[in-house]
Amino acid sequence: MEAALSGLYALADINLLILIFAATLGGVLVGALPGLNATTGAALLLPFTITMDPIPAIAILTTIYCAATFAGAITAILINTPGTSASATTCLDGYPLAQRGEAGKALGMAAVSSTIGGLVSIICLMLAAPLMARAAYNFAPPEYFALTVFGLSMLATIGDGSPIKNIMSGALGVLLATVGIDLLTSIERFTFGWNELSEGIGFVPVMIGVFGISELLVQADNLHVERKQVIMKAIELPNRADYRKVWRTILRSTGIGTFIGILPAEGATMASMIGYNEAKRWSKTPEEFGHGALEGIAGSEAANNSATGGAMVPTLALGIPGSPTAAVVLAGLMIHGLRPGPTMFTEQAEFAFAIFWSMMLVNVIFFFIGLWGAKIFARVTLIPIQILWPIVFTFSIVGAYALEQSMLDVWIAIGSGIIGFFMRRHGFSVVPLAIGLILGGMLETRLGQSMVMLDEQWWLMLSRPLSLFFLVLTALALFGPMVWNGFVKQRPPLESTGE
Amino acid sequence: MQSDSDRGSRALARFAVPGGIIAFCALAFWLSTQFERVPPILKRGIQPSDFPQLVIGLIFFLTIALMLTDRSEQPDPLSGIVWKTMALLIGFTLVAEVDIFIGLALFAGSLTMLWGERRLGMILLVSIVVPVAVFFLFDGVFEIRFPRGLLTNLWYG
Repeated sequence: MEAALSGLYALADINLLILIFAATLGGVLVGALPGLNATTGAALLLPFTITMDPIPAIAILTTIYCAATFAGAITAILINTPGTSASATTCLDGYPLAQRGEAGKALGMAAVSSTIGGLVSIICLMLAAPLMARAAYNFAPPEYFALTVFGLSMLATIGDGSPIKNIMSGALGVLLATVGIDLLTSIERFTFGWNELSEGIGFVPVMIGVFGISELLVQADNLHVERKQVIMKAIELPNRADYRKVWRTILRSTGIGTFIGILPAEGATMASMIGYNEAKRWSKTPEEFGHGALEGIAGSEAANNSATGGAMVPTLALGIPGSPTAAVVLAGLMIHGLRPGPTMFTEQAEFAFAIFWSMMLVNVIFFFIGLWGAKIFARVTLIPIQILWPIVFTFSIVGAYALEQSMLDVWIAIGSGIIGFFMRRHGFSVVPLAIGLILGGMLETRLGQSMVMLDEQWWLMLSRPLSLFFLVLTALALFGPMVWNGFVKQRPPLESTGE
Repeated sequence: MQSDSDRGSRALARFAVPGGIIAFCALAFWLSTQFERVPPILKRGIQPSDFPQLVIGLIFFLTIALMLTDRSEQPDPLSGIVWKTMALLIGFTLVAEVDIFIGLALFAGSLTMLWGERRLGMILLVSIVVPVAVFFLFDGVFEIRFPRGLLTNLWYG
């Protein structure tokens, strides 16, 4: 309680509040701009936070996360283009409503359900993260190693790509993390005699490359896409009848989103898809879905915004990112010398709670921005990409250089951008690569510590209940879907059995 | 009906990516065998090459699994504009050796024109105004010192 109050007190600084307000506007802008999303926005902004104190630095990153996730709905509703992938399902009902002249109502519903989802999930975060951290307090290296392996195994299900490709991409990230001086033995690896590489490959330039520069190349292929904005009348908040219709959907999607967010590596996109599907499944009027159902917007938006709070639970409590954007936040924590994990809620409790309160504040701010500023932000989406992307590139390059003030980081950003582009073309998601790079060092250190602790008998990890538990979860995450698909394929179709 | 040459080129394309990954794994594995080894007393659980080799082995194993199971369509050939954008990126890396901001200005101006912008005001905005503003923002506010070059020398003296 004391920590919660001191966190709130730390936030009561006018400069910080102005910064959070500005970051919310920036986040909404990022979410609304074509090709940019919360992860790219946070990765591009990361270098700007280097010189700041930890609280404003991380508050800015989480603000971008929350605000950009919400802002995807604006473009989804007004121009039928999801600003972020998490808002793809919002298009299905938002755009038909906008075409009927009810864009204001659709945006009102998106703002209300996003805010409720976001606020409830942050309350869950405030309660769950310290509990999870306390549970992890007695973890020894084998448990941490098994937990990190489990976190990496969850990368298999990111996006709609092949699980094998996702794991390969994550493994490549882990391999990149081995470049530089080995922390356990001080031996140089893959440095080719370059002094600058002995510190390892920084995750900021790689993130800027795979999220920012690769997207620039993707946009080069999308120059012909035309965006048209639907005319929006005045904003109309949902009325009492609308609330009666959607309140169960909002609560259900909030629960789904928070749970999905807590799972390592799963983010808002999966949450919104499940939230939308469940809203349709439980609806009394499922036939309206896809034709402008308010429940569809509520189901999708409450879920994707609640996933932001959920994703911060494992990020702060265990140091395992709950989503791609949470991975950038984790990178920010590491750059500022903060150690996410159980000690965060004992040694840095004020910091943790200041971040929680700032996220709560963002949800309130974007509610008003969403309602009354949507029209302006929707116009921003019409900025031609031939103007937008050269500007993004300039910020990307300077941002990549800024952290270590090294041109090597600029080459790394460009190299990873080109590699990331080709990976994406061939169905390899770049998100696992970024997460693998962040977790790789941790994974190797914990494996080494476990081997020392277990006298080099790695199989003894299986004799420790918690590490066995996480390794079984890993096996289930990797092979469960395959076994299940095989089982479903082997079952004879219902018609042939006469059922 | 697909011709033999069509089938051949598709098969080649299908195995090109896994083949490239396997070649990368082979190179990385060989490099890892060149790492120094530490005496058992100092190795702290694992030798420096053990973990990278474990990961390389995993990538190799998954690549084989991918070759056997992946039936996804090959992407369409890249459009000319993507190749040109990539060439501009490489051009930027060369010019940035002379001065990073000359590189940024040339890249941004060329890219905006390549992508179809013809308004002089907009071209000047992205190629001059934005890089200059970014330079002063990072130099003044964030106290970042950029590498010396033709232009930055004018400021740093």
